[in-house]
Amino acid sequence: MVVALALVVIVVGSILFHMLSPWWWTPIASNWGYIDTTLVITFWITGIVFAAVILFMAYCVWRFRHQPGRKAEFDPENRRLEIWLSVVTGLGVAAMLAPGLIVWKQFVTVPDDATEVEVFAQQWNWSFRLPGEDGRLGTSDARLISGENPLGVNPHDSFGQDDVIVELSDLYLPVDRPVKMMLRSIDVLHNFYVPEFRAKMDMVPGMVTFFWFTPTRTGEFEVLCAELCGVGHAFMRGYVQVVEEEDYQVWLQEQKTFADLSTDRRIRTAKSDQ
Amino acid sequence: MADTTTHGDRPQGVEGFVSDWSSDQRAFKRVSWGKAMMWIFLLSDTFIFSVFLLGYMSARMSTQSAWPNTNDVFALHVGAVELPLLLIAIMTFVLISSSGTMAMAVRCGYARARKSTAALMFLTAALGATFVGMQAFEWTKLIHEGVRPWSNPYGAEQFGASFFMITGFHGTHVSIGVLFLVIIATKIWRGDFDRPGRSWLKTGAGDYEAVEIMGLYWHFVDLVWVFIFAFFYLW
Amino acid sequence: MVNVYDDRPDTQVPPAEVPDVHPPHAHSWIGKWVFSQDAKYIAIQYSGTAVAIGLVALVLSWLMRLQLGFPDTFAFAPEAYYQFITMHGMIMVIYLLTAIFLGGFGNYLIPLMVGARDMVFPFVNMLSYWVYLLAVLVLTVSFFVPGGPTGAGWTLYPPQAILSGTPGGQDSGIILMLLSLILFIIGFTMGGLNYVVTVLQARTRGMTLMRMPLTVWGIFTATVMALLAFPALFVACVMMLFDRLLGTSFFMPALVEMGEQLSYGGGSPIVFQHLFWFFGHPEVYIVALPAFGIVSDLIAVHARKNIFGYRMMVWAIVIIGALSFIVWAHHMYVSGMHPWFGFFFATTTLIIAVPTAIKVYNWVLTLWKGDIHLTLPMLFSLAFIVTFVNGGLTGLFLGNVVVDVPLSDTMFVVAHFHMVMGVAPLMVIFGAIYHWYPKVTGRMLNDAMGQIHFWVTFVGAYAIFFPMHYVGLVGVPRRYPEIGSAPYLSTPVDGLNAFISIAAFVVGAAQILFMFNIFWSLRHGREAGPNPWRAASLEWQTPHTPPRHGNWGDELPLVYRWAYDYSVPGAAEDFIAQNDPSPVRGEH
Ligand code: HEA
Ligand code: HEA
Ligand code: CUA
Ligand SMILES: [Cu+2]
Repeated sequence: MVVALALVVIVVGSILFHMLSPWWWTPIASNWGYIDTTLVITFWITGIVFAAVILFMAYCVWRFRHQPGRKAEFDPENRRLEIWLSVVTGLGVAAMLAPGLIVWKQFVTVPDDATEVEVFAQQWNWSFRLPGEDGRLGTSDARLISGENPLGVNPHDSFGQDDVIVELSDLYLPVDRPVKMMLRSIDVLHNFYVPEFRAKMDMVPGMVTFFWFTPTRTGEFEVLCAELCGVGHAFMRGYVQVVEEEDYQVWLQEQKTFADLSTDRRIRTAKSDQ
Repeated sequence: MADTTTHGDRPQGVEGFVSDWSSDQRAFKRVSWGKAMMWIFLLSDTFIFSVFLLGYMSARMSTQSAWPNTNDVFALHVGAVELPLLLIAIMTFVLISSSGTMAMAVRCGYARARKSTAALMFLTAALGATFVGMQAFEWTKLIHEGVRPWSNPYGAEQFGASFFMITGFHGTHVSIGVLFLVIIATKIWRGDFDRPGRSWLKTGAGDYEAVEIMGLYWHFVDLVWVFIFAFFYLW
Repeated sequence: MVNVYDDRPDTQVPPAEVPDVHPPHAHSWIGKWVFSQDAKYIAIQYSGTAVAIGLVALVLSWLMRLQLGFPDTFAFAPEAYYQFITMHGMIMVIYLLTAIFLGGFGNYLIPLMVGARDMVFPFVNMLSYWVYLLAVLVLTVSFFVPGGPTGAGWTLYPPQAILSGTPGGQDSGIILMLLSLILFIIGFTMGGLNYVVTVLQARTRGMTLMRMPLTVWGIFTATVMALLAFPALFVACVMMLFDRLLGTSFFMPALVEMGEQLSYGGGSPIVFQHLFWFFGHPEVYIVALPAFGIVSDLIAVHARKNIFGYRMMVWAIVIIGALSFIVWAHHMYVSGMHPWFGFFFATTTLIIAVPTAIKVYNWVLTLWKGDIHLTLPMLFSLAFIVTFVNGGLTGLFLGNVVVDVPLSDTMFVVAHFHMVMGVAPLMVIFGAIYHWYPKVTGRMLNDAMGQIHFWVTFVGAYAIFFPMHYVGLVGVPRRYPEIGSAPYLSTPVDGLNAFISIAAFVVGAAQILFMFNIFWSLRHGREAGPNPWRAASLEWQTPHTPPRHGNWGDELPLVYRWAYDYSVPGAAEDFIAQNDPSPVRGEH
């Protein structure tokens, strides 16, 4: 009795907690509403299954609990029932997998008009690099990194000269324009994660990973690092500012290109030599 | 357990397989405990070596710097002439022939031929030891040439790393094999295997199965070498 | 394949193929009580060690919960926190669950359930334990070395794991961890070979594979998987040891640490992840399948009913075992591997749900029209089903690649695997201990204490980990000692975290009661008699309780039927022991 009741309470309690509790994902700020939809579908299917299985169990526990004189029935197996159940389960799985894979297809196919933005991670902070007028990021290499050249941009690559370097400060993005985040780390694994954008991807030293999304509303969004990267992991934060196009241009003008930076550095060193 | 019996004439082929697996007591009707254990261990060990080799391949692919040209790295200078792969050819030959002597030892073991079994096993052990010796020689040679696990003058550092790791791991296998060959051979030579009473190597008088099990291990180690040979020296 | 349901009990069993050899008797005191070669004794050594180190991991989880629940009051250094989670996770998965299921229950139950006198190679079996103990000691030592244990997370991802940014990375912590794992694998292999060969080649007369209790099937399959999965971990450990000690670059690309160029170059961190998860995913089923098997038997015995769909259950175990070797990259959806892998691995991952589902259904259908005795083992079995279904279903979120993208590396994952691995199999372990304790000691565990232990542990553990899913859903990443004021949190999670922590302390306390019960009942427990649960399987039919060395006295038992002849129509009792020749069933 008590046990059956407890099982029912567990189910009801879980469902109520799910529906009434204030804890739910943060309002989305990217085009990945599909992901939320898939997640909701999954919640429905799994929720129903959970309730069904546990409630059925509760019924059995109550109905077939031991009483004096009670004898269990002897039925080793029932092929038809088992096959039937497997099919239903298969359908349930398919109902979750199909939309999932369709959305994944979109997630991995980057639109051609997406502008590239490089995210540069190191223990334990974020920097960014935007392609300049030529719209192309110059090559880079961890071996080139130095006080002069903190991002290891290749100085002999003409594409690199006009790249905009945003060192240790916020990244600005124009709203409603698809961006392809080129993720680069120079020391350990990191993971560029903005909860409102739903997307995330590891950053692996020695290779460039990526994901794409379109910011759909303006605002300030916190960047978290979602892959254990040492003691600073939890404090490796940054900000993405999603703004209107014109504000974006204003911000962009204030930024320094790789060429500027290297020239001032040269000037500075020259001064110090005298 | 040589003295086991399988009752009745069992069907052959797939049918036989099914009936064996659905029967009681033993799934492999003609396989003793010791042999079954060795087979399963070798299966697990196969996975270890495969993963080692996969790791080596992926390292060879992921590394940026050029892979050393194995032809000259492993070349042997006899006087003025440079003979690529000479040493390794000999090593391989030695090991393969040790497989041959081992196989003969096993056959003598079936025949309970005490002296010849022991003799052949000693021979196998000797060949195995030679192999390890030559490997030691090659290691020293490479180390003299400045090849280290973390760097080498010829190119990608992963070369030295995977070479020492994998040949070392295989060499250990061979050495352990040699050790056990000697132990078993001595016992056989002393006639322990023909006296009654069980030990960790035999169940009773004239149970020479340990030789056969040893053989399984030895052939396996040789087979693995063939792959290492192919992947390191020929690729 | 023998089909079970019209597998009429044999009238006579086939003759012996292998001579009945008695395992070597220990003569010295040491040989009997310390270096024992008796599988039953080794089992107890294994379990004791596993539980002891498991309690360390439990305490670590408290410390973690103190930090997470009350970050202002108990602020540990991040170093410490990462060392806690790493050791906690590693100990719980490898040194507690794997060891107790295979080394503990495997050693005790396999020979008894298949009617063998002992494992086939008792000496090797003994070595297995001592190497395991050595591994545990090396692990323990790492707590006391300068720099402390590694804090790389139980996944030990390079480059981070061996760099100075991580506790133990440049000290000996990581080295000892890798050595300990290598030792564990060696030790396990020795034992594993024994379990597999015993099941395949040392069954008693009449004991066909399809008559073995599902417990044996679960442990057997898990062992085979372990023998094929551990090699990947072994190699990964060796390579990482080389990277750390010799400065090789298997997993290390060119990198700049804290502004200084390191001499590494050309390696690939992703390769390590593939190796780790090729081991890691089968591993999680290695700790799940024995639980599946054991719980099937607990349910059957205490519902006085044959397990429903025995053959399906066996095949499901085997299929799950096989499939779990081709799903590993579902842990790497956001690792930067080629995105196209996502399609393949998402599909294989979700397919696993089907055989698993069948098992769940059959457990529940076994209760249907049963005669359910709500004993402690049954209660824990029910708790297992609840928590496992819950945790398994959240697995489907993560398996469905896009849904994993936002959830990966959040507390949602942590909640998933605690529910399905941390809680569910532990429920089975507890149930199993209540079930077989009388076999091992001859006395029952105290029921009153057991009831308290059950209700607190079950309800408490659910209260810990169910809400945790929502902490992850709002976007709190895992391995964060504190989330701080994060603007994106639609609702702060501090209160929830505090609640979870308190629940965790309560549940932990209940474990202390359980430990007390175990020792208390040794003396004061009710005399159990040979077969207190009136179970049909072979281990309850031994001539002595607890079973003596050699298990079976002079004559090996003969098996006439499967392990599930409960409530057979026409039978005098509501169970027929496997070695009972009376040919009921057949007439009907
Ligand atoms: C016992 C251990 C165990 C078990 C059994 C499982 C079972 C499953 N796990 Fe879990 N998992 C772990 C232990 C386990 N897991 C651990 C330890 C981690 C984290 C490692 C780390 O990163 O630290 C992890 C992480 C993990 C991830 C990676 C998440 C991430 O890091 O981003 C994924 C993704 O696919 C996953 C999926 C699954 C799936 C699909 C199952 C399936 O097998 C579940 C199948 C069961 C069911 C589905 C429920 C029963 C079925 C029914 C009731 C039928 C009805 C169903 C339908 C109609 C659909 N798990
Ligand atoms: C079997 C595996 C297992 C078990 C039982 C537990 C038990 C618990 N775990 Fe653990 N945990 C892991 C495996 C497990 N964990 C793993 C793999 C990680 C990942 C580490 C990483 O990220 O690298 C992790 C990480 C982890 C985190 C995430 C840290 C982070 O990412 O920031 C947290 C946080 O709350 C946590 C909490 C707990 C709590 C409160 C308990 C318990 O207190 C729950 C309540 C207690 C019980 C259910 C009883 C348990 C009893 C014993 C263990 C004693 C043994 C006795 C017998 C068996 C007889 N664990
Ligand atoms: Cu960077 Cu975690
Ligand atoms: Cu997995």
